[in-house]
Amino acid sequence: MNRTEVIAELVEGMQELDEERITKAVEAAQDSGVSFDEAVSEGLSRGIRKIGEKFESGELFLPHLVMAGDLMDAAVGKLSETLAHQGESVSSSTTVVIGTVKDDIHEIGKNIVALMLRVSGFKVIDVGVDVPIGDFISAAESNNARIIGTSALLTTTQFEQRRLVEQLASQGKREKYKILVGGGQVTEAWRQEIGADGYGKDANAAVRVAKELVEKD
Amino acid sequence: MNGIKLELLSSKEIQDICDGALVILQDVGVEIFEEQAKDILVRDGATFEEGRIHLPTKLVMNSIEQVPSRFTLYARNQNNNVVVGGGSPLIEPMIGRINVIDLESGQKRRTSIADVSKLIKLADALGNYHVLHSGAVMPRIEGVPEGIAHIHGYIESVSNSSKVIKGSGRGRQVAEDCITMASILMGKRTEDLAQEPPLFTTINVISPLRHDRAQTEGLMTYARHGIPVEITSEPQMGATSPVTFAGTLIQQTAEVLSGIVLAQRINPRTPVIFGTCAAAMDLRKGLIALGGVEGALINVAHAQIARHLGIPSRGTGSNTDSKVLDVQAGYEKTLTLLMTVLAGNDIIFYPGTIEHALTIDYRSLLIDNEICGMALRAARGIDVNEQTQAIQLIKETAFKGNYLGKRHTIMNMNKELFFVELTDRDTREDWMERGGRALDEIACERVKEILLTHQPDPLPESVRRDLMSYQREVEQRQRSTAESE
Repeated sequence: MNRTEVIAELVEGMQELDEERITKAVEAAQDSGVSFDEAVSEGLSRGIRKIGEKFESGELFLPHLVMAGDLMDAAVGKLSETLAHQGESVSSSTTVVIGTVKDDIHEIGKNIVALMLRVSGFKVIDVGVDVPIGDFISAAESNNARIIGTSALLTTTQFEQRRLVEQLASQGKREKYKILVGGGQVTEAWRQEIGADGYGKDANAAVRVAKELVEKD
Repeated sequence: MNGIKLELLSSKEIQDICDGALVILQDVGVEIFEEQAKDILVRDGATFEEGRIHLPTKLVMNSIEQVPSRFTLYARNQNNNVVVGGGSPLIEPMIGRINVIDLESGQKRRTSIADVSKLIKLADALGNYHVLHSGAVMPRIEGVPEGIAHIHGYIESVSNSSKVIKGSGRGRQVAEDCITMASILMGKRTEDLAQEPPLFTTINVISPLRHDRAQTEGLMTYARHGIPVEITSEPQMGATSPVTFAGTLIQQTAEVLSGIVLAQRINPRTPVIFGTCAAAMDLRKGLIALGGVEGALINVAHAQIARHLGIPSRGTGSNTDSKVLDVQAGYEKTLTLLMTVLAGNDIIFYPGTIEHALTIDYRSLLIDNEICGMALRAARGIDVNEQTQAIQLIKETAFKGNYLGKRHTIMNMNKELFFVELTDRDTREDWMERGGRALDEIACERVKEILLTHQPDPLPESVRRDLMSYQREVEQRQRSTAESE
């Protein structure tokens, strides 16, 4: 496979969720002259964006989207072993730190939002569940993030979202980050009440809001 | 007549599900976020590997054997005592939700303490509701300071109903508070409550296979006091459990059993309830399909598994994902309720809710009471004996008139037929004459009437005084905690 063929196979392999085609293209990548950044941004990412579009239009379902995310992860992992990275161009996209707040271990909603953000081109640092505020902030600091997203399903744990806003403010870092909130009982009114920057009622809305927040920069 | 018991699984299939759950508990294990719980289980034979507690089959089976197959919950008015696992399903409407549909405007808004008192009063008046979810389980009530919603919620609830009121199990302190308030309500010491428990709680396992810290603390607190705990798994098929029914049942059974083992290790013979609020995930939306047929099927199989294990069960019914009381709400509620009631689940939760059980609707609480009545009637089945066969009566009556004026009709009609209170069966002319209104409008009016006229058994003044004094104590505790932080 030459460079163009590898890229085309990565796009189509992703679109078709065809693990074998992706694997073959990844294996052929080293000798084809394709760079890591090209393989990821022109190949895999374009393919996964198509999956995202088909999900939004109702043609594909959530399991397809999640599978695409897993295929993408595996492919990026292998490519990074075989191909040289060229600078920071891939990771220069906006970084989002995302997690479920302390004392809450619900993760399915957070995972779906994380996935949709990645499909849409964000670099996502998923800090997991039951995450203390300090860990959100330190992950954001060390990864040079622009957005911190917190998920809270329980009404008891929702207060943590307010505490994050307060703590960032008290540390003089409030302006450094855009804060996204989501979760079962979270509403636009709650976002306003606690002074967060964005609220997504579902995963698609979260991505839309994240994009808007970054565009305002 | 033994009543209907809807069944989906053969004995072999039930055994396969239970065996599968035992394999999961032993080989995969569960994650527990509460340290002491892990210590107790390891002390009693569980192993801790790679962050997970693995439960050997022997430990699980021994624990199942200790579970009482039935127990009584004691109400403030003893006529409202109920037997859990006694053969007739108990209906538990949902009350304590953060959102409510305003009776006047029809708009969704936050639930206030006044709503709690009205919703409980309404549920107190409705005959097909047996145990009440309450304001005590609400982490937030509009207008009530943070951290003491369970106190206000409980007091408001017991003030407006003499039925069994549920407590909260979210955290050790909240659980202790609810148990203390229940002891004040019954005029007993907390250590004596286990003999005649006046409350119970629900804790949810987080699928797949995780017990969070706060609810595990709650489980442990209730179990230490010997007070019944409903351990409920809430998987979403395809997302937090396998998309297949059998796989979901295996995982769910393992999840609930892991909680039951913990309760029994803490305090053998603590009454527990084997719970589910499973549903499919709508895989196009990424949202729960609570009103779907999938959850209803799970409820039927779940009741069978619970009977096999000899543990009382809890399921869900009257579920809907609709935002209004429309045709969708009607069919989803009836479908889910009828199946779970016919399945023979011992406690059935969710009447009164709309919108994925996130929002309470006063009118729904009233209408669901009527659907529950019909479902409970269906579950009683058909009585066939000499009296009901009425062969002599048919001989005497056929070709000579009708059965309307017969003593047999009058003697048996209340037992055999279900008399509706809300459902419209008028002629169109009569219905038009009465305003030609849809049921939700009529329900709105009827709710207001009940709230105006129903008189719950009054809470004795001395009990109210003691509860208020406990409230002040907790408020003081909250202030000291806030200051020390």
